[in-house]
Amino acid sequence: MTPRPDALCRHCLLPVGRRGFARTVNGEGCQFCCYGCCIAHQVKSGSGDASEAAWFLVRLGVGSFLSMNIMLFSLLVYAGAFAGADRRVLPTIQLLLWGLATPAVVILGEPFLRETWVQARHGRLTSSALIVLGSLAAYAYSTLAMFQPGGHLYFDTASMVLMLFTLGRYLEAAGRARASRDLAPLLAAESELATVVEGVQEQRRPVREVRAGMLIRVMPGERIPVDGLIVEGRSHTDEAVITGESRQVAKGIGAAVLAGSINLDGPLLIRSSGAGGESRWAQICRSVRDALRQSSRTQRIADRLVGAFVPIVLALAALTLVYWGQRLPLEQAMLTALSVLVVACPCAVGLAAPMAHSLGIGQLARHGCLVRSPGALEALAGTRLIAFDKTGTLTLGRPKLVDVTSDGVGEEEVLARLAGLERHSEHGLAHAIAMAAMVRGLDPIVAEDVQIVPGRGLRGVVHGEAVAAGSAAFMYELGWQLPSALSVRAEEMASSGHSVVFFGWSENASAGRARAALSFDDTPLPEAGATIDALRSLGLRVTLLSGDHAGAAARVAATVGVDEWQAGLLPEAKRAALDRYRSHHGAIAMVGDGLNDGPGLACADVGIAVGSATDLARETADLVLPVDGLWLLPWVVGRARAVRSTILANLAWAFGYNLIALTCAVLGLLQPILAAAVMAGSSLLVVLNSLRLERLPGPSYPSSLQSSAAAQAASELPLREQGQRRELALLKAPS
Amino acid sequence: MTYYALLFLAGFAGSFHCIGMCGGFACGLGADPRGARATSVRHVLYNTGRLATYCFLGTLAGGLGQAICSSLGLRSNQGTPFLSASLDVGQRALAVMAGLLMIIMALSFFGLRGWHRATSSFGGSTLVNSLRSLLRTPGHAAPLAFGVLNGFLPCPLVYAMVAQAASTFDVLSGCLTMAVFGLGTFPAMLAMGGLGRLLAPRWRQSGVRLAGGFILALGLITLSRGVVPMAGGHGLHHLWHIA
Repeated sequence: MTPRPDALCRHCLLPVGRRGFARTVNGEGCQFCCYGCCIAHQVKSGSGDASEAAWFLVRLGVGSFLSMNIMLFSLLVYAGAFAGADRRVLPTIQLLLWGLATPAVVILGEPFLRETWVQARHGRLTSSALIVLGSLAAYAYSTLAMFQPGGHLYFDTASMVLMLFTLGRYLEAAGRARASRDLAPLLAAESELATVVEGVQEQRRPVREVRAGMLIRVMPGERIPVDGLIVEGRSHTDEAVITGESRQVAKGIGAAVLAGSINLDGPLLIRSSGAGGESRWAQICRSVRDALRQSSRTQRIADRLVGAFVPIVLALAALTLVYWGQRLPLEQAMLTALSVLVVACPCAVGLAAPMAHSLGIGQLARHGCLVRSPGALEALAGTRLIAFDKTGTLTLGRPKLVDVTSDGVGEEEVLARLAGLERHSEHGLAHAIAMAAMVRGLDPIVAEDVQIVPGRGLRGVVHGEAVAAGSAAFMYELGWQLPSALSVRAEEMASSGHSVVFFGWSENASAGRARAALSFDDTPLPEAGATIDALRSLGLRVTLLSGDHAGAAARVAATVGVDEWQAGLLPEAKRAALDRYRSHHGAIAMVGDGLNDGPGLACADVGIAVGSATDLARETADLVLPVDGLWLLPWVVGRARAVRSTILANLAWAFGYNLIALTCAVLGLLQPILAAAVMAGSSLLVVLNSLRLERLPGPSYPSSLQSSAAAQAASELPLREQGQRRELALLKAPS
Repeated sequence: MTYYALLFLAGFAGSFHCIGMCGGFACGLGADPRGARATSVRHVLYNTGRLATYCFLGTLAGGLGQAICSSLGLRSNQGTPFLSASLDVGQRALAVMAGLLMIIMALSFFGLRGWHRATSSFGGSTLVNSLRSLLRTPGHAAPLAFGVLNGFLPCPLVYAMVAQAASTFDVLSGCLTMAVFGLGTFPAMLAMGGLGRLLAPRWRQSGVRLAGGFILALGLITLSRGVVPMAGGHGLHHLWHIA
C-alpha cells in the first residue's frame, strides 16, 4: 500500500508527504506521516483485543529489553567490572551481547530499514538512511571485532541509537497530536458516520451518503452530522465548531440544527435539509484539509534544504572517516564518522513549520476563524497595511434611523403610520423603520392597498386616506407638496451621506403633502473603533476603501478613527488602489464582508472576510472570520505573528542545533549514543517550542465595549435573529 | 551485605505497595490456558522484564553518579558503598540530593498524598491505558514486553531506589542496588498471580508503611553520608546497626 502524498496523517493531521506509509490498525486502513505517528496512534488506539497496537508494543518492549540488557552489560564492561580476575568471562559476555544485539537490531531497525528501502527505490535518500547506515555499521563492525582478541564491541551503540530514535519519534508524534487537537473536530466531517433511520431500521452510514430529507438519529454527546430540522426530541446544542462561540443553545421540535454542533443532553431525530457533503461543516473540513495539505513557502525551502542535507552528510561522514582513520585507530575513526551520521539526521527541520502551522490554524479555528490557505498566517504576520471595506465590514451593513424631521405632526404618528406601510416592503430601510417603531413601543397602523413603485417608494391607504413614502421625486410625481423646511433638512442630511425618505399623507380627501423627512445611516460597528486602535498599536497602517460616496465614507472613517480613506471606488479601482499600496508598503491585507468585494480580497496578499455566508468553495478570502468577528482581527494578527516567529525560532533551533552538534561530531567530541540522544532532544525541543503557542492567551472582547455591547444586544435582538435566520437559509441552500 | 539485605527488605515490603498498581497488572496477566507451567513462565517473564528495566535504570543512575564524580576529577570508590572511608565534595552533594529525594518519597508512603500524586501522575495514565492491551495478547513475548514497560511506570518506590543507586557512584553497585530491590519485589509479585486478592487491605497498608520506613532509613543514611562531617565508616556503621 502506498499512500497518496496529499493525504493527512491519521495521527497528527499533518500532510503524509513522501515519507508516509500505510498500515492497518484495528482492521482499518490508516495513513501515517512517519514511523513515530504510527507508534503513537497504535499506542493510543490500542484498546481492541489482540490489536496490531499490542503487537507493536510487544516489539517495542522486547526491543527495549534487549537493548537495555546490552547497555547494562556494556556499561559494566566499560566500567571495568570484568577486569582482573573475571577477565576470562569476557568472551562469553561478548557472545551474550551479540546474541542480544542481533534480534534487537532486527526488531528496532526494521521500520527504519523499510523506510530507507522504499525511498531508495524512488531514488531518494532520507534521514532514515543515515540511522540505518550508522547502526548497521556499528553492528557489523562489532560482529567482526568479536573474532579479534581485545577488540571493542559497539553493540550498545547499534541498539541504543535505534532505541533512542524510536523513542524520539514517538515523543515527537505524541507532541504533534497534541498540536492538532483543535483541528480534530473540524476534520471529523469526512470520517463521521450518521445513524440513518429508515422505517424501523437504523443504519450507520458515512455522512457523504446522506441526502436531503433523510431522518437521522443523534444521541446525546454525539456530533450532529448534517444540517437539518428537529423532528422529534429536545436538547441543547453547542455550535462552537461552526460559530466559534461555545455556548448552549436550546433546541426543540422544528428548530434548525447545524452540522458539526454537539448534541448535549437529549436524543434527537433530525430531518436532513441538504446532502451530507454540502453542509458548512463539510465545507470547512475540506477547506482546512486543503490548507493543511499544501506546504507554505518557508516549509518548502526547509524541505529542499533537508533534501540536500542527507547526501552532504554522507559525504561528510566519509571524509571524517578518512581523516581520522589516518590519525586514530580505525574503530575510533569509525565511531566519529558514526556520530556524524547520527547527529546530522535533520528530523527537526522538517517539523519546524508544519507543527506551528497546524497549531495556529487549530487555535484560530477554535474561535471560529478559518484559515484557507497555508501561507495566509505567514503573509499576515508580514503585513504592514490593512485596507478595510466599509459597508458590512466596519459598519453594520444595515441602515438605522438617525433623524426624523416632521412638519406639523408628531414623530410618533409618523413612525406608526410609516411602519404600517413599510411592513409590505422588503427594502433594507423598512427593517430600520420597523425597528425604530418597535423600540419606541408603537403599534404600526395597518395600511391597505399597498403598491410598491420600484426605485421610487411605496403608497397605500390608511383609514381611507392615501399615504406614500419615498424620494423627493416620488412626492413630485404624486403632485404632493414638499415643505421647504423638510427639503432643506433633507439636502443637508443627504450631503453628509445619509439616505433620506419623505413620508406624507392626505387629510380630509385633500391632496397629500410630505409631512416628514427621515434620515437613515449605516452605523459603524461598536467594536470598529477599538479594533482599528488595536491594529494601529500593532504597528499596522489602516486605510478605508469604499465604493460608497465620499460623504458616507468620510463620516465612517472619522467615527472609527481611520485617517486615510478613498471613496467611490468601483471594484477595478479598488484593485488598482491595492496595487498602489502594495508598491509602497509591501504585503497588504484586505478586509471585506466577502459578498461584494471578492475581487479585492483575491487581489490582496491576505484576503480576510468577516462573517462570510457565501459558499466556502467559492470564497476568495484566505482567512474567514466568524459573523460579528471583526474584533478578533488584532488577536488573529498577533497569533499569525506568533506562529511566524515560532517557525523561525524552530528553524534556527533545528539548524543551529544540527550544525553545532555536527561540528562536535566531526571533531570527535560526541559519542554516537549521546549523538542519538541529542537528536531526539532536538526534535523534542522543536515540539515543545511549538507547543508554547498553546499557552498564548485567547482573544478578549474589548472591555470598553462590553457594557455597551450588552445594551446593544438587548435592543437589537430581533434583528440579530433575523440575520442569523438569513445565514441559516444561506447555509442550507446548496449553491 | 547488610546494605543489600536492607534493599531486599525494602523491595519486599515495598511490593505490598506495588500490589496497588502493578499487582493489578499481575492479576490481569492471569492464568495461561495451557496450564500451570505456562502460567508460571508467563509471570516469571513479566517479572524478568521488570527486573531488566530496574537494573538498567540502576546501571544508568550508578553510571551517571560515577561519571559526575570522575568528571569532577575525583576518583570513584569502587566496591561496596558505605564502607568506603572517605567521601569527596561531589559525592557528598550527590548523596545529599539522593537522600533528600528518598526522604520525600518515603514521606509520601506515610500519607503525604500531594507528593504521591505528583510523582505517580506524571505521564502515567497514557502508558497504563496503552499497556492494558498487552495483557490479553497471547504468546511469551507479550508478558516480557509488558514487564519491561511496566518497569518504566512512574512509582515513588522505584524513584527512591534509583536515587539510591545514583548515590553509589558506581555502575556495578547501581545495577546491584536495583537488582536486589527488584528481586525483593519478586515474591509478592509472583504470588499476586494467585493469592493477591486474599491479602487483607490492612496487611497491605502496614506493608506500605514498612516500606516507607525502610526507604526513610536508607534516605537518612544516604543524607548523613553527605552531611555528617568526616563521615567515615565509623559513624555510618553506627547508624547501620540502628537501621
